[in-house]
Amino acid sequence: MDSQLKIGFIGAGNMAFGIAKGILTGNVLPVNVKVSAPSSRNLGRFQELGIPITHSNIEVVCGSDVVFVAVKPHLVSLVLNEISQHVTDRHIIVSVAAGVTLSTLEELLPENSVAIRLMPNLPCLVQEGALLFARGSHAKQEDGALLRSLLHRCGLVEEGPESWIDIHTGLSGSGVAFVYLFAEALAEGAVKMGMPSALAHSIASQTVLGAGRLLRDSGKHPAQLRSEVCTPGGTTIYGLHTLEQGGVRASTMSAVESATERARELGRKSAARK
Amino acid sequence: MDSQLKIGFIGAGNMAFGIAKGILTGDNIPPIGFQELGIPITHSNIEVVCGSDVVFVAVKPHLVSLVLNEISQHVTDRHIIVSVAAGVTLSTLEELLPENSVAIRLMPNLPCLVQEGALLFARGSHAKQEDGALLRSLLHRCGLVEEGPESWIDIHTGLSGSGVAFVYLFAEALAEGAVKMGMPSALAHSIASQTVLGAGRLLRDSGKHPAQLRSEVCTPGGTTIYGLHTLEQGGVRASTMSAVESATERARELGRNASKVTPKVDYSCGCGYCNHNKMHSNSILGTFIEGHVSLQA
Repeated sequence: MDSQLKIGFIGAGNMAFGIAKGILTGNVLPVNVKVSAPSSRNLGRFQELGIPITHSNIEVVCGSDVVFVAVKPHLVSLVLNEISQHVTDRHIIVSVAAGVTLSTLEELLPENSVAIRLMPNLPCLVQEGALLFARGSHAKQEDGALLRSLLHRCGLVEEGPESWIDIHTGLSGSGVAFVYLFAEALAEGAVKMGMPSALAHSIASQTVLGAGRLLRDSGKHPAQLRSEVCTPGGTTIYGLHTLEQGGVRASTMSAVESATERARELGRKSAARK
Repeated sequence: MDSQLKIGFIGAGNMAFGIAKGILTGDNIPPIGFQELGIPITHSNIEVVCGSDVVFVAVKPHLVSLVLNEISQHVTDRHIIVSVAAGVTLSTLEELLPENSVAIRLMPNLPCLVQEGALLFARGSHAKQEDGALLRSLLHRCGLVEEGPESWIDIHTGLSGSGVAFVYLFAEALAEGAVKMGMPSALAHSIASQTVLGAGRLLRDSGKHPAQLRSEVCTPGGTTIYGLHTLEQGGVRASTMSAVESATERARELGRNASKVTPKVDYSCGCGYCNHNKMHSNSILGTFIEGHVSLQA
């Protein structure tokens, strides 16, 4: 990847920051990154990384090859309208805005613009994100490959058709909060059994992290791993039976379903508003 | 910590290996065996004990009394014996070891294998605070290390021993929800496990209460709060608490059953090949071949 590549961020929230951190751990120099935001509130942590800041979105676009549009969804059309005349065919515009479709993006940008829609998740902040992107009609495979190489330090990066973005939102965007709920419940079970709360929460979160590591790095199906740890008549199978009796599996599937359907609904609403 | 400290392992299964990896300083140890790590091996438990200051007893629970009977006369007051065997109480350990032996009971969990374990230990009656501190310093690269009264060990078993499998089930269900929505299975599983790992990292490193973190990610009317409502409607929180409860109660039950059994050990199995204290050579170091030694209760 060209180490002289210039990367710009419009918007300076958590997602922009997480992605910027990941990009810098590759071979992109801070001086080749620029970020803009209307207020200085969120710019401090970018400055600490050595990244130049500005209040001008246009300055970011003119000085960058790849531009991440990381503003709240309702601000996207505003921002794109503002920068549109400065977008050329050498730019790659990557939108991180939930619910804003490629079709909307391409409408707001000049004809033949290269647009990519990216759905990251919060753990990008600690370089353990799960990111899915979908290429717009003029984004070629090489543009996808470039994005992938920029983002690979942020976590797991995958490509797919746009229809998978809403599913990814439900599974891995909202999924993070589902895991928080599960971890909290594990801890509270231990508190009921007599363990002090702070310790229980600490152990529960370490357990979730450790199990996630094993699961991700083993490459095995979770059911396979589960069988491997069930001593006959042991504590684990007793606990698993309780989870099954409570229908945890079905409810969890339903949670991903609800979140995905809400993502689809929000996408339809924003398309209808155009 | 004294870098000349000698550490011994009786038993060479996953737990022993995970702990050994953590003890050896240096990160990013590739997935290789004890020998590739440069650790000397032997088939003699007694050799391990005589040559070590800290001895991890990492054999299956039903083999513990066998092993302790075998090594007992070689255990001195300078040894620290750390048992990793589920359900074997400190009282049992101290009965099988010489008087005044320093015994510690340790409950690790499987992610020790990747240096992200959750470990809880309880000190025996002659184990002093410094012994606990020494163990803590040995284990800190294995993951989170905490100390507590013995009564917390069963809870730790339910929460973080079995808890690993509960997380696997949850991750599988997340993936299957995505598959129902139209994502291919392999990708869904891959993203689900990364999501669990990432969320666990954020949770552990933030130091905030999970409910606080949850609130921070709920956009009003957004996808997350819709999904969370579904989890609540399904009573996932209650079932998960109950799972920890079931596993903990089973651990307590197993502990009670084990202490009722005082095995008189018969060394000879009558197979014609083994006799007192001699082991068959086999692929698992330091343990007797299961089925070749009988325990008489």
